[in-house]
Parts: sequence; C-alpha cells; structure tokens
Amino acid sequence: MLVYTLIRTLTQYFFVVLMAPLFAGIIANLKAKVESRKGPSIFQPYYDIFKYMKKQVLIPKGSGLIFKYAPFILFGIYSLIALIVPIVIPEPIFFTASADFLGGAILFSLAAFVKIAAAFDSRSNFTALGAVRALSFNFLSEATLITVFFAVSLITNTNNPYTTNSFLASHFIQNISLEHIFATIAFFMLFLYETGKIPLESSGLAELGMIDEGMSYEYSGKLLSLSKWSGYMKQYILGAIFLNVFFIPWGLQSSFPGFLLDIPVMFLKWLLLIAIVVIIETTLAKMRLFRIQDYLATSFTFSILFLIFSVVIA
Amino acid sequence: MSPIDYAVFLIAAFATISGFYIQGQEYISSMVKGQLVQSSIIALISFILAYYEHSIDLLILGILIAFLRGFLITYFLDKRVPGRMTYVYESNVNVASLLLIDLAFIVVGIFIIYSIVFTSADLVTKFGPSSILVFPLSLFFQGLFLIGSRRSTFSQIIGYIEEENSLVLFALFLVPVPIIIEASVFLDVLALVVISSILVIEKFRHYPMEELRG
Repeated sequence: MLVYTLIRTLTQYFFVVLMAPLFAGIIANLKAKVESRKGPSIFQPYYDIFKYMKKQVLIPKGSGLIFKYAPFILFGIYSLIALIVPIVIPEPIFFTASADFLGGAILFSLAAFVKIAAAFDSRSNFTALGAVRALSFNFLSEATLITVFFAVSLITNTNNPYTTNSFLASHFIQNISLEHIFATIAFFMLFLYETGKIPLESSGLAELGMIDEGMSYEYSGKLLSLSKWSGYMKQYILGAIFLNVFFIPWGLQSSFPGFLLDIPVMFLKWLLLIAIVVIIETTLAKMRLFRIQDYLATSFTFSILFLIFSVVIA
Repeated sequence: MSPIDYAVFLIAAFATISGFYIQGQEYISSMVKGQLVQSSIIALISFILAYYEHSIDLLILGILIAFLRGFLITYFLDKRVPGRMTYVYESNVNVASLLLIDLAFIVVGIFIIYSIVFTSADLVTKFGPSSILVFPLSLFFQGLFLIGSRRSTFSQIIGYIEEENSLVLFALFLVPVPIIIEASVFLDVLALVVISSILVIEKFRHYPMEELRG
C-alpha cells in the first residue's frame, strides 16, 4: 500500500513538474495557428528553460537575499501545492494532509507575496512598478480565491479537496447548484487573471500591461529559468483545480494500475481548457490596465454573492 | 429540490446578474439592453411557472411582461436616448467600487430583512420556504442603489424599472396572480410610460440643489 501511494505521489508530482511547460507551449502554438501564424513549437517552453539554465546569472547591484532565493522558494511552494490538491490522482497521496483547501489558497497567496517581495528586493524601479501594479489588483484576486474555496467547502461540507472532488463526481446535481456554477465562473475568471491571459494579459511584454513579466524582469540565467518553470506549474495547478474540482470532476481513476489512465484523461481535459482559453484569447480585446480591477471586482462579486445566497437558500 | 426548482433558481440568479450588469454600464443604451434582458428573464420565469402550475393567468402575465417591459418600454427608452455622444455616456462611473458597494448594500439589506422580518413572519412561497425571495430582494436593492448612485434621469428610470421588476418577481413567488397583473399593468402604464416620458424630456440630469442649502 505504501509503495502504491509512493508511486501515485511520484506520478502526480513529476507529471506536474514535467508536463506543465508543455501545456503552456500548446496554448502559444494553438493561439498562433488561429491567428494564421506558424507560431513557436509546443516544446518552446522546454527549450527556453534549458537555454536559461545554461546562461550566466546576473544579480543587480544592491539586491538582497529574498531576490536571490525567491525562485527556489516559489518552485518549492508550487511543488507542495502540486501534492495537496487532486490535480492528477483523485486519491490522497503523501503530503496531502499538509493543508486543506484554505491552506492551498494561503500557499498561493504566500507565493504571490514572495514574488512581490523579491521584486521589491531587486532594488530596481522597473520591477517595483510591476510589483505595485500586481498589489493593486491582488487584493481582489486573493479574496476571490478564498471565497471560491469557501463556496466549494459549503457545497460538500468539507475542506478536503479530494473529498470535494469525489463528492462532486458522484453527485451530479450538485454540479448544477447555484453556488457551484457561480464559483466555477468566478474561478475561471481568476484563472485567466492569474495566468495572464487576455482579456487581462498581465504576462505580455507590452509596457502598460506588464505586471508578471515586470516583476521577474531583473532575473537571468538559472533564476529566470526556475521563475518561468514555477509560472508554468502555477498555470497547470490552477487549470487542473478548475478542471477537477469545478468544471469536470469526472473521469479520474484511483485504482492501481488504473490511475495511470489519469494521465491521458488529464491531457484531454487540458486540451478542452486550452481550446476554451484560445477561443477567449483570440476573440476578446485586451482590457485597459485600470479596467482589471473592474474585472476582478466582478469575479469577487460572483464568488461572494452566491456564497451568501447559498447560505440563505440552505 | 426538483429539477424545475433548480432551473427557476438559476434563471432568477441571472436576473440578479443582469442587475449587476446594468450597474456596471456607462452607456445608457447598454443599460436599456440590460433592462430588456432582465425583463425577458422575469417573463421566462412567469412562463415556466405557468407551465408548472398549469395557470393561464401566469401565461398572460408573462406575455404582458414580455410585451410591456421587454418591447414597449425598451422601445420607448431607446427612442428617447439622444443621438449626441455627450448625452448617452455617463462619466465618472467607477465599476469596481460601484459593484463592491452595491454588493455590500445588498448583503446588508438582505441580512436585515431575513433576520428581522422573515424570522417573525413565516412566509411560504411557491418554492417552499422563503429562501427564493433572496433574488427579488437583491434586485430591489440593486434598483435602489442604481437610483442613488447615478445622476442621469435615464439611469434612475432604469433603476425604477429594476425595482418594479423585483416586485413582480417577488409577487410571482408569493402572491396570487390577478393582483400582480393589475398592479403590473397599472405601474407600467402610469409610471413608466407617462411619468418617465415627461421626466426624461424635462430634466435630463439631477444634481444636488444649491438653493436648498441653509
């Protein structure tokens, strides 16, 4: 039993770490194809990671320890989150007991805090600008993340993400309940913001919308490589939570060796999510920078209003 | 709850969302379209209830809502929107703060009503306990907030329509049918078509009156 759990743990962890860049590559490639461009290879994120690994690390003069170690801390935080939420295997694995839903949300917040602290610690005005922009939006996104998790906890009467997944997979009617539908919409809006997709596009290199890229602007070499890799992991984890807890909780196997089927199932689920994201990215226009707050206020409204409605209705 | 109850809950929730949509708009014509959607949603609920309860009265009410609010009032408001850009755009609309204040206003209002009024009065709606009344109540407070937060007469009239929509929705879940039809038609004809047409033409915007300050 212990060996099976170990195999499941390793499968989930290495799937997240190794496959996360691939999904980012597929999104970029598919988006280019829709826009009638040839686009980068789906393996481009891997090439980037290896290229940066070989480059020399340059540390800005005056930067502190947080700046130097933040990419390692971020990679560690996302690695831990990858082990506590059902993003590949629907059965508890090692480290699952480390945190519940709220703990997962707090770990995401911790990662955002470390990233912002590192940006300030670089002593660069440009990265500080990106950090300040991120802070002016994060107060709404973090609140949405926590209330969305409260909503799913209320539906299932548990704060354990694995129990939630299993409950939603076995109770179809709960998936069309009011609080679940609007928590799903709020989380999807949050997913688009956190991963920097249009209509927000916080990760682009356009000067005015430069939020995420602005914060990691001073990184180079191995540190940049790790920072980018963490970004891909964050995208995968958020997307997989959206798929397995909110949108399509069905289809995952926990038996041995049936759980190996979870890998192609997750791949297919992700292809569906990528198709939705690409449709949104290629049909909507980019929002102006200070409209991002309106967008996040809407997602926060969805999450908290229907949380309150669900309490009243219950 | 049966599947039809779920469906009505969801559709009623979209009426609340349309209220937020109207609150977040800067262009009057978008607000008018939002009003059209909201009225259509309420008409749809009336049709579903008519089918569910085999009631001709509710069917008539649905047709009346669809015709009077969905078509007539939208047509009337759309015709009254001036062509010049300066008039149709309401400036200084901060969507994020408006949405959050609106949300707080709704939550506080509903909390007070549920904790004080509904605990003493044992209301029984067509969907069991009084929980479904949360949607018309939220719509009502949204209408009130829209009137309070905007200066253009159009926005305030749309806020009033929202309030009236909320009352019809409230009555649909609670009150016997003939009274709703009479009240609804009376309010539509008198308040919306007669009074609001005079108001829109006579006074386009409302500002604090300096003359009344002591």
